[in-house]
Amino acid sequence: MPARPCGPYRPSGTTARSTAIHRRALPLLLIPLSGCSGIQSALDPAGDEAAAIYTLFLVMVAGGALIWLAVVGLLLHAARRREAPWSEKTAGRLIAWGGVAFPVAVLLALLAYAVWLMPAIRPWLAHSAPAARPIEVTGEQFWWRIRYPAAEGMPAFETANELRLPVGARAVFALKAQDVIHSFWIPALGGKMDMIPGRTNTLSLLPTRAGVFRAPCAEFCGASHTLMAFSVVVMEPEDYAAWRRAQAGGNPATGSEGERLFAGHGCAGCHGIRGLTETASLGPDLTFFGQRQTVGAGTLANTAENVARFIRNPDKVKPGAKMPAFDMLPDGDIAAMADYLVGLK
Amino acid sequence: MLIGWRHILGLVLAGALGAFLIAWSGIIGVGASTGHWKATDWFLHWVMRSSVRTAAIGTPVPAFTEGMLPMAAGHFEGGCAICHGSPARPRPDSVRNMLPAPPDLKDKIAGWSDAELFQIVQHGVRFTGMPAWPAAGREDEAWAMVAFLRRYPALDAEAYRSLAGLAETRPAGTGDAIGTCNGCHAPERLDAQSLIPDLSGQSATYLEQALLAYAEGKRASGIMAVATERLDDEERRTLARHFAAQPARLRQSTSGEDAARGETIALNGDPARRIPACLSCHDKAGANPAFPRLSGQPAAYLESQLKLFTGKGRGGGPFRDVMAKAVANLEAEDMAPLAAYFAGRKPAD
Repeated sequence: MPARPCGPYRPSGTTARSTAIHRRALPLLLIPLSGCSGIQSALDPAGDEAAAIYTLFLVMVAGGALIWLAVVGLLLHAARRREAPWSEKTAGRLIAWGGVAFPVAVLLALLAYAVWLMPAIRPWLAHSAPAARPIEVTGEQFWWRIRYPAAEGMPAFETANELRLPVGARAVFALKAQDVIHSFWIPALGGKMDMIPGRTNTLSLLPTRAGVFRAPCAEFCGASHTLMAFSVVVMEPEDYAAWRRAQAGGNPATGSEGERLFAGHGCAGCHGIRGLTETASLGPDLTFFGQRQTVGAGTLANTAENVARFIRNPDKVKPGAKMPAFDMLPDGDIAAMADYLVGLK
Repeated sequence: MLIGWRHILGLVLAGALGAFLIAWSGIIGVGASTGHWKATDWFLHWVMRSSVRTAAIGTPVPAFTEGMLPMAAGHFEGGCAICHGSPARPRPDSVRNMLPAPPDLKDKIAGWSDAELFQIVQHGVRFTGMPAWPAAGREDEAWAMVAFLRRYPALDAEAYRSLAGLAETRPAGTGDAIGTCNGCHAPERLDAQSLIPDLSGQSATYLEQALLAYAEGKRASGIMAVATERLDDEERRTLARHFAAQPARLRQSTSGEDAARGETIALNGDPARRIPACLSCHDKAGANPAFPRLSGQPAAYLESQLKLFTGKGRGGGPFRDVMAKAVANLEAEDMAPLAAYFAGRKPAD
C-alpha cells in the first residue's frame, strides 16, 4: 500500500456526493436540537437557577469548543510536511506552556467561575433563613404530595402532582420522601435535589417566566419511576393570588351522581376533596382535579377517558400503584366518577 | 457358583414380574365384605398412626375458645355425622360395612393429641374414605373442629343439639334452606365470642355476592362450602333477600380502652401507617351495598376475618382486593380493638 500524502483524508470521487448528503442530512442533525426547548428542558430556562446553570453550560460548551478547535488546529499543523523540525528547546517550551500552564490556568478559571456561580445555583447559601415558609413536597411511590403553608391569613392546604408558583417570587421547598429516595427536579427552573426518607432537604427557586413545565422524578424509585412526574404552572402574580385564595374553599358538594358514587364506593377513604365532608390523605388529594394537566402524576393527559382508565385498573396504567383496581364497578359508575373528577375546576 | 449382581438383578426383576402377574390374575380380593386379615389390619393402622404422629411434630396449637364450638358442631352435623354418627343420631347401617368402618368418635378422640387430630381433620386419611378439609388455607376452621372434637366425648344428645343448632325451630312457611342457615346464624345464638356472622339486616347484595363467592371457591371455607353447595342462583337471591329484610340488632355494648382505640382507626384510619378509615366504606349512608355492615357483628367473627384478610386467606366477592389493600398494613394488635368497636356499634336502620 503506497504511503498516503499528508493532508485531509478525502477518498477520490466522493466530493460531489458528500456535499449532497450533507445538504440532506442537515435537517436530520437539527432534530436533536428540538429537544433543547419545551416543557422539560434545562436549556430553555424559566428561572434564575436554571439560567445560571444554562450560562455555566454555555461557557463550558463554548470554552470546550475553542480548546477543541485549537487542539485540532495544532494537530493539523503538526501533521504538515516540514523541512526544518522544531528544536528541542522550542518543543519543550510548547509543552510547558500548552500542556501545563494553559490547562492549569483554564481549570482554575473554570473552578473560580463555578464557585462564583454556586450561590445562584444553590440559593440556600444566600437565603439560609428564608422569610417565606417552605412549600412541602413529599415523594411517594409514585406521586407527589404538595403542602402549601398558611399565608396572609389563608389556611394551609394540600394538593398533589401539580405545583403552582407566582412568577418573580422566590419559592422555598422542603423536600421529603415517604418510602424510598426520590429526586425533585424542575429542569426549566433549576434543581435537582434528592428527597430522602427521614430527612428534609431545602431548595429555593426563582421562576422568571410564566409557563407550564414538567418535572420528572430524577432518582430511580421503583416500577413506575419513569411515570412519576409533576406539572409546574408558573403564573402571573395576580392569577396566582386568585388561585391561592380559591384553595381553602375547595369543591363544595353539588350532589352530582359522580360525587355520590365517589363517596359511596369509598374513594374518599384515601383521596381528599376539600369541601366534601371527608378529608382523607392517604392517596393524592383531588381538590380542583379538573385544573390539573395530567392524570396519575404525569402519566396521562387529564381527560375523562383517561381518568376512567386509571380508576378501572391503576396497575395497568402505572405498575406498582398502591390504588386497588375498581374494574368490578359498572362502566356507568366509573364514567360518572371520571366526569365528576374532571369537572372539579 | 458365586452369586453375582446379575443374579440379584434377575431375582428382583422376576419378583416384580411375579407381583404384576398375581395382581393381573385378579386373585387378590378388594371386596370390603370380608375385611382385612388381622395382620393387615394391624399393619395399616400402625402405618396410619405413625404417619399422623410424625406429621403432627412441631404443629403449634392455638388457644381454643367457646366461639369455635357452634361453628364446628354445625359442620359436624352436616359433614361428619353422615359417616361417624353423632350423639343425636347413630351411625347409619350403610357405613358400618365400609372398610375401614368410620369409627364412632366418642371413644377415639382421647387417643390423639390436638396436633394429631388437626392433621387428620386438615389432610384426611388416604385409603380410608376420610376426606381432607374442603378448603385449603382455612386452618382456623380445622382447629375449630379440633376444639369441638375435644369436647365431643362429653356431649349428650341435648348438649350436642344445642351446640349444633338442631333444636332451632324453623320459621313456619319458609323453605328448608332458611332453617338450615339459622341452625348456625340465628341471631339469638350469637354472642361476642361467636365466629359466625349475624346475617340479619346485612345488605342483600353483599350476602348474595358472598354466597356466590363460596360457590365459586373465591371465598375459601370448608364449612360454608359444604353448607351452600346445593344452592342455585335463585335460592341464593332468595336467601340474601330474606336475611337482608330481618331487623339488625345491637348485640352488646362493648366499652373500654380497646373499643376506643378501635374507634380512632375506624373513624380516621391511621395515615402514618397507610391505613384508611373503615367507616369510609363500611356502615356509611349511601355506601356501595356490596360493602358489608360491620356494626353489631360478633367481635370474634370480625377479628377472624381481619386475620384472614391480612393473611391473604380471605377471598370474597368482587371487592375482596380493595379490602385486602385497605387492611394490608393493619397489625395484629389493631384487630381486637377494631372488632370490639364495631361489635358494640349501633347498626344503622
